[in-house]
Amino acid sequence: MNNFGTLLKGEFQRLSKYKIMQAGIGVSLLWVATLFLIGPDDAGMFLPLFVFMDVSLMTVLLIGSGLFYERQENTLKTLLITPTKFSHIIYSKLITAVIIALQSALILGLLGYFFFDVGIQFHYLIAFTVLISFMHAMLGFVFAVLLKDFPSLLASIMLYMIVFAFPSIFYALDILSTTWSYILIISPTHASMLLVELAFGEPVNGWMIVVSIVYLIVITLVFAKWIVFPNYFKKAIED
Amino acid sequence: MSEVIIEVKDLMFTYGKSQVKAVDGLSFKVKKGEIFGLLGPSGAGKSTTQKILTRLLKGYGGTITYLGKDLSAYDNTFYEDIGVGFELPVHFSKLTGEENMAFFSRLYRKQVDVAPLLKRVGLYEDKDKMVGSYSKGMKMRLNFVRALLNDPKVLFLDEVTNGLDPKNARIIKDMIRAFKEQGGTVILTTHLMNDVEELCDNIAFISGGRIKEIATPRELKIKYGKRILDVEYALNGKTKQNTFDLDGLSNNDTFMSILKNHDIETMHSGETSLDDIFIKVTGESIHE
Ligand SMILES: Nc1ncnc2c1ncn2[C@@H]1O[C@H](COP(=O)(O)OP(=O)(O)O)[C@@H](O)[C@H]1O
Ligand SMILES: [Mg+2]
Repeated sequence: MNNFGTLLKGEFQRLSKYKIMQAGIGVSLLWVATLFLIGPDDAGMFLPLFVFMDVSLMTVLLIGSGLFYERQENTLKTLLITPTKFSHIIYSKLITAVIIALQSALILGLLGYFFFDVGIQFHYLIAFTVLISFMHAMLGFVFAVLLKDFPSLLASIMLYMIVFAFPSIFYALDILSTTWSYILIISPTHASMLLVELAFGEPVNGWMIVVSIVYLIVITLVFAKWIVFPNYFKKAIED
Repeated sequence: MSEVIIEVKDLMFTYGKSQVKAVDGLSFKVKKGEIFGLLGPSGAGKSTTQKILTRLLKGYGGTITYLGKDLSAYDNTFYEDIGVGFELPVHFSKLTGEENMAFFSRLYRKQVDVAPLLKRVGLYEDKDKMVGSYSKGMKMRLNFVRALLNDPKVLFLDEVTNGLDPKNARIIKDMIRAFKEQGGTVILTTHLMNDVEELCDNIAFISGGRIKEIATPRELKIKYGKRILDVEYALNGKTKQNTFDLDGLSNNDTFMSILKNHDIETMHSGETSLDDIFIKVTGESIHE
């Protein structure tokens, strides 16, 4: 097996050994239970919201906490003195996060499709889940680079939710008017939310779709080029 | 003349925001098949030097060549050649010892059989336990095994016997010597005099980021040891003690007559311990 395959396999082995995978499945089941409690009439409205939470916030939490744990264990240093390429180490984690996000998005999507009669466009759901979780996984790396410990990671994710996610959630629940959509687009979570809604067959303005996609790609690249790749390993070594 | 593996010239390094140089103008050569010791107190710059030599820290001043080629000219295949032992445990705590070794092993082209290594360091029985449940000493022994996974040509070991009881320290030291006997080269950094004294062919005394002296243990003892001989002998049922200068000893009549006419009880040359020599050379004690 080549090194990238080994890294990826290692990530999944650890996700399971560290019970992160189990926690992720647990969260998905929690969403599922909630949807059944809500009942078929409103489930359609909450489903995109849950998918959005899982694919964005859960991904930041997954990557961020994993990286802090790894820092504590000093394991990144050992990886860095193997023939493995630095970029492969980062990509293996990003891809793992995307796969986990896809798993929960699909669980929820299929559930909506078969039980709640929600019109889901699965190709959109898959494509946007990849995009959104990739961006949020990168955000997890950004937090790991900038923050010093796990409590500050949790605090930052909370702050991120309050500033960026809640307005989008209110919007999705029709608490905020459509005009807000244009203002909120400067928030990465809102761009994510719009794309998830699109996948769930809700009407979204064509330009807003384009702007959202471009916006998510640009943020991801900016994070990668200026924050994550230049600083991540330096930080791990000097620790 | 044996081949030079690593040559370091005027190595300098300062950490990000720090004002002081962690490494301040180191120069030394490590030859093939030798055990080279960097000996110095905590904070001397040993680990920093090891991290630079293993290409973890970049942005250093001076030059380093590995097998005659600048270190920065190598790509990551450099790591196929070397084994690195860190001073702190570096394993996944919720994976077993064996799972850890299996994972890291697969990242190399060349792989050794791990079981005999685990047996040798006394971890085989515990290979299926999570590393998180290991004692500090067990983790350090696993670190050492981890450094040997790719059958390296050069070993970089940072405080390799740290936290080990004498019996296990003995095993690790024997393994290091065996590695050398099979043609391996070792760069050992430590604050433990014992390690260098038993293992090293050459020792660099390092303090405050600078090398104060490089020599073989024997040369150091000759250069800094007192050139005297203490003799204890029996005289009328009592022990008498006499001290002689080593220089001109063969012409010393008193000494000769003691040898001829009395039973010698003990005889010690005025060897100074490396500990004392370290203080003499660096003006600093190796122990905090
Ligand atoms: N990550 C770091 N950031 C800033 N200074 C550091 C860092 N690591 C080590 N130092 C400093 O560099 C010097 C050398 O440290 P180190 O190489 O660890 O010494 P040794 O291994 O000999 O004990 C010390 O003064 C130490 O405080
Ligand atoms: Mg050290």
